[in-house]
Amino acid sequence: MLRIVNGKVYDPANGIDGQVREICIDESGRIAQNVTGGRTIDATGMIVFPGGVDVHTHVAGGAINFARAMTPEDHRRTQAFIRTKTRRSGLGGMAPTTFATGYLYAGMGWTTVNEAAVPVLSARHTHEELTDIPIVDKASLTLMANNEIVLDLLENGEYERAKHAVAWYVWAAKSYGIKAVNPGGVAAWKWGHDAKQLTSPIAGYNNITPGTIVTQLARICEELNLPHPIHLHCNNLGAPGNIATTIDTLKHLEGRRAHIAHSQYHAYGGDGWESMCSRTSELADYFNSHPQLTTDAGAVLFGDTVTITADGPWQHLLYKLTGRKWGNLDVENETGCGIVPYTYRPSNLVNAVQWAAGLELLLLIKDPWQVFLSTDHPNGGCFWRYPEIIKLLMCADFRRECLTQLPARIKKHITLPEIDREYTLYEVATAMSAGPARALGLTRKGNLGVGCDGDVVIYHDTDDVEQMFGHPRYVIKGGEIVIEEGEIRETPEGREFLARPSYDPATDEFMKPLFEECYTMSFENYPVELERIERAEIMECSSE
Amino acid sequence: MGGKVTCTLGEVKQRADFIIYWGGNPAECHPRHFTKYTIMQKSKFLPRGRKDRTMVLVDIRETKSVKAADIFLQVRPGRDFELITILRAMIKDQHVADEQLAETGLARDVLEDLVARMKSAKFGCMFFGMGLSMTRGKHMNSAALLTLAAEMNAFTKFVAMPMRGHGNVTGADVIMRWQTGYPFGITFNRGYPRYNPGEFSTVDVLVRGDCDAAFIIGADPGATMPQPAIDHLKRIPTIVLDPHVTHTSRLARVHITTAPQGIAAPGTAYRMDELPLPLKPALKSPYPTDEEVVRRINAAIADKPFWLPEGSQPQMLTAQV
Repeated sequence: MLRIVNGKVYDPANGIDGQVREICIDESGRIAQNVTGGRTIDATGMIVFPGGVDVHTHVAGGAINFARAMTPEDHRRTQAFIRTKTRRSGLGGMAPTTFATGYLYAGMGWTTVNEAAVPVLSARHTHEELTDIPIVDKASLTLMANNEIVLDLLENGEYERAKHAVAWYVWAAKSYGIKAVNPGGVAAWKWGHDAKQLTSPIAGYNNITPGTIVTQLARICEELNLPHPIHLHCNNLGAPGNIATTIDTLKHLEGRRAHIAHSQYHAYGGDGWESMCSRTSELADYFNSHPQLTTDAGAVLFGDTVTITADGPWQHLLYKLTGRKWGNLDVENETGCGIVPYTYRPSNLVNAVQWAAGLELLLLIKDPWQVFLSTDHPNGGCFWRYPEIIKLLMCADFRRECLTQLPARIKKHITLPEIDREYTLYEVATAMSAGPARALGLTRKGNLGVGCDGDVVIYHDTDDVEQMFGHPRYVIKGGEIVIEEGEIRETPEGREFLARPSYDPATDEFMKPLFEECYTMSFENYPVELERIERAEIMECSSE
Repeated sequence: MGGKVTCTLGEVKQRADFIIYWGGNPAECHPRHFTKYTIMQKSKFLPRGRKDRTMVLVDIRETKSVKAADIFLQVRPGRDFELITILRAMIKDQHVADEQLAETGLARDVLEDLVARMKSAKFGCMFFGMGLSMTRGKHMNSAALLTLAAEMNAFTKFVAMPMRGHGNVTGADVIMRWQTGYPFGITFNRGYPRYNPGEFSTVDVLVRGDCDAAFIIGADPGATMPQPAIDHLKRIPTIVLDPHVTHTSRLARVHITTAPQGIAAPGTAYRMDELPLPLKPALKSPYPTDEEVVRRINAAIADKPFWLPEGSQPQMLTAQV
């Protein structure tokens, strides 16, 4: 039991904007009206936020583990976590180890993370890794937009069957929702091609186009009543001039709900690397007039990182551009994955445009309930650098100072210098916690109302924003104080959120022969057993 | 050089119309590989199965796998790296001198034919075995082959994959990576993981006599490691968990018999392409599983005093030299 008194509370889900309130957490770890006994934290001079929620990150599974193997040189120079009585050893850096991931997220006040790209085939591995990430609660999304069985069904116009197959896959992977990456493009990559036009049939198919995949999957997500709408990584990522593809994709959603992942990478104009410019204002306008859409920024920070995505063809291009290491892993029938270490440099015009574009989106989309803090970890920068972004959002002067470091010719390529908006604490709390929790459909997260999870973070109220958000005074997870005085006190195990959409029981029988034709493991061994998920919390989704 | 361009075995089964085995003998070492994954399977894209696929074997001698190959290339022993480098040049139409070719023991027209076939393939896959990765050049050979596969993607789809064996070695590698960042050759002697193959690899630690106890699960180093390493295992308290009596269990101070994985013990095994496969036991064993034994040892250790003095915290390192 815990009582937090005298703190200024920022709880956007309940419209509380900096008023002094008392927050109580009962013995079940939920927010309560009142408690008797237990510890009282005097939060005088401090601010109280709901724990952070990361809507889009890559922290567990085959891809990030591939990246770990590829970057031993980074592990050597990075922060080391030494084993103590309460903490296991590990390494931070570009691709942190599992235990370190939990400590680093909790260490800056984030208490829920969503692993955004999991092939069903290696979901068993992903869940094992998620189990090894302490403190935070977790969810994962299944990769679906290049699954050949589903594509074949859509190609033949068997929409109902496809819907059941998708539901079957989500439950087989024990995941929380659906991720679409470069719809059709990764399937084409299996033959070394890509899909860049939304209305052209994808390689190997006659009818189906990236546009139809987007429309149909968005509809499937809605009809299955999944808590999170389609989580979409658009076609043509990273390419100059891709704003046209992105807007076209959004139009294909036809008024349905959707979450557009890392939209910074999809908001460029120009027709080559030299003329590449930010077209975020166009994208932001679209979001401003379509409140059913949400997005995360996928902001870029200068420095070293490693890029990881299911977008195989893009990673091949990045390898050719940089000449650095290239990892590629095509997953049978389902998806692909590419890994390339990358350094974002302020002196590089393209990188400078990317850096500005991420911030522009966060500032130009007016409603913080629609645009969330993310770096698409580790693609645009590591998640433990979020406090740097918060500072850039809250301090226009600091932004201007940073702009002076960029090449002078950048001015014609970006709009950031013209933006004076500064985030308020209330808006920060929305973009880092309340907003992403609502978009994910996690009703008990990002909310300090009675009955919600007791995930609370308390910061010193100081002018040094980066210091303040990087070093919370207390982090409370499920009512337990996990961080205090900059030390990890407790490392409770987090839960995992699963969604169970309903599907026709005959789907098993239907899938089996298709499965056996293209997979190399036995059908019975494919679905992840529910017993393997530790501390699972299942959300039942009824189709009606 | 660096990285790995690869895929899961199902992709090979579905699409690979051009397959190279380099320095491996799958007919004898991975006998199900041909039939389950690579050359014998029919698929949507390769409906005629074996007839739609070309298989090339590169080795220093004729093995039983030659019979299954369409083309056999006999490279001179220890010249794999040179041959791969020549191929990397030839795919880019760079000049290769006759004397460089002569070193590999292969004729120019043979290699020109190989390069033409590689480029005209729709989906090429190279599997490499210990004949490449454990002979002269070692990891540099693997790196060269992986680079060749990466560079082939400028022309057509190409991937490469090591032929791994020894039970669940891939699983150990995968888990070490997510917990420590490194696949093997790790030391925790400063309280956090550090990596240096050649220094912290098991064999090096044993040969130098650096460890004062050994705990061995699912391996038989007594059968494969050099004599000085085995001698050290005999000197120190060695504890072995194994269902069988092995060379190592004979020299160990303690041998705990455990239930065999996959037969009487459940768990997960990672296939060579890193896919996790569940193990479902078919039999019951009177012996405990490895996991049970390790958990009990862990619990007993937890009762002992902690390695750091009470109340002290180790210093956080932000950088190391």
